[in-house]
Amino acid sequence: METTLNTILTYLSYGFIQRAFIIGILTALLSSILSVYFVLKRLSLIGDGLAHTAYGGIAIGLAVGGLFPSLAGNAYVIGGAIVVAGSILITKAIRSAKFSGDAAVAIFMTLGLATGVFVTSVTLQYGFDLDALLFGSILLVTWNQIYSAALILVVTVVLITVFYKELLYTVFEEVQARAAGIVTWKFDYLLSILAGLAVVVAIPIVGVLLISALLVLPALASIQITQSFKQTILLSPVLGSASVILGLFFSIIEPNAAPGGTIVLSGLAILLLAIVAKKIKGSA
Amino acid sequence: MSSSLKEPIVELNDVGVKYLGAVQALEHITLKITKGDFVGLVGPNGAGKSTLLSVILGVVKPSTGYVRLFGEPISSKNLRKIGFVPQTPYSKETNFPMTVNETVLMGRVPYSLKWPWFTSLDHRKVEDALKRLGIEELRNRKIGELSGGQTHRVFTAKALAGDPEVLIFDEPTSGVDTEATKEFYTVLEKLNQELGITTILSTHDLGVVTQLAKTIICINRTLYFDDLTTRFDASTILSEAYDYPIDLIKHGDHP
Repeated sequence: METTLNTILTYLSYGFIQRAFIIGILTALLSSILSVYFVLKRLSLIGDGLAHTAYGGIAIGLAVGGLFPSLAGNAYVIGGAIVVAGSILITKAIRSAKFSGDAAVAIFMTLGLATGVFVTSVTLQYGFDLDALLFGSILLVTWNQIYSAALILVVTVVLITVFYKELLYTVFEEVQARAAGIVTWKFDYLLSILAGLAVVVAIPIVGVLLISALLVLPALASIQITQSFKQTILLSPVLGSASVILGLFFSIIEPNAAPGGTIVLSGLAILLLAIVAKKIKGSA
Repeated sequence: MSSSLKEPIVELNDVGVKYLGAVQALEHITLKITKGDFVGLVGPNGAGKSTLLSVILGVVKPSTGYVRLFGEPISSKNLRKIGFVPQTPYSKETNFPMTVNETVLMGRVPYSLKWPWFTSLDHRKVEDALKRLGIEELRNRKIGELSGGQTHRVFTAKALAGDPEVLIFDEPTSGVDTEATKEFYTVLEKLNQELGITTILSTHDLGVVTQLAKTIICINRTLYFDDLTTRFDASTILSEAYDYPIDLIKHGDHP
């Protein structure tokens, strides 16, 4: 026990571990706030769709950087722009009523993945780190990534606070919201753009494959035990942060365990606890 | 229609609605609903009752004719004065985490879009609406935990919180037990009588309509009856509208 504690304390004194905790918590706060809206909009898989779009986008960004050295280092910026464009197009496809939400997400998921596979397969010589993209590389996070995540989090919190009523009503009952004078399509696009940015921020933490977890599990766990929307939007970031902190601790204790996996498994454990708590409360 | 001396709140003039350019949902509907009236809207399934309500609410645009609300063309400003309680007020699929209080507060949104928060006036209106509907004790309950009858009361309170001059109900008691239905209609009658709220109630429950409504509108694509309930010869009009011989039996008449 003492050895474990010593190990944790030793690791916590390292700068790269501190940065991992900071970006982990920032990402958890950002994605778990947004997760509430997407779970309630029945668009839980949007994170997957956007992450795969990001995979394609970042692959294009790296390839562009390889071909034009002056653009090297901007892969995440190019990827981010492509993800935001993808998130707008997913929302456009859903709102057109030509596709259901899951079909629109599926189209972009496969398009992003196929583009990524194609581009990486023909540009492998440019030093593409596929593992980092798929599974995350939280221990390699830089301060610049932390500042970007913090900025996007602040913007998200401000927008969600200012448009609290509009976003809640749009997600709750869009037709009634429209009748109440809310221009609902604007808020649909706002949410999807924020989700796109959250995905770009979250890729270094858990990677493309597990990103959906951060955009689903905290909200799902909160909804099990809360009564009101206010409680849900406040509890979700707490549970999201808890899963990141627990996950990082587990990966310190067991250095072979990839943080992306332990973070998501912690999130699942929290969801399980919430379901049990709901059952106990229901039978009491 | 009722008394032509009273102020017309809703006017439809030769309204017709064609869906997808082909299906004629409504045609040649001309009627007036006056201030303070309690209107029962009846007709068989597929008669166009919900379409008629959608036309009044500005959701469906008439293919022919026009609608006026409060003497003016439909606008977001005059639509604010209409509270609507749909048949299915919200989707229950997501176990939406919202309390009764939060739901009723949504009824104040049209008045509070200027600020990110609700004002004390908004909270006071919600409080009044909860009291009127007799659901104060439910304020902190999650809406997904409520019965069908309670849900309709909550959404009526939400509509009431927006200070409506007209309340429109589309089949508000489908799936609600008899006792709760009776209590719900008593509340509607009170809102109409005490607050003078013009009420339009679309329902299949002819017993309720003939008891509560001052005016009956009977449609089946076109208008079959629009007059005082006392002049409603149910068997004749319904047989015509439903295109089937109908002989109504009053409570107590049947063996």
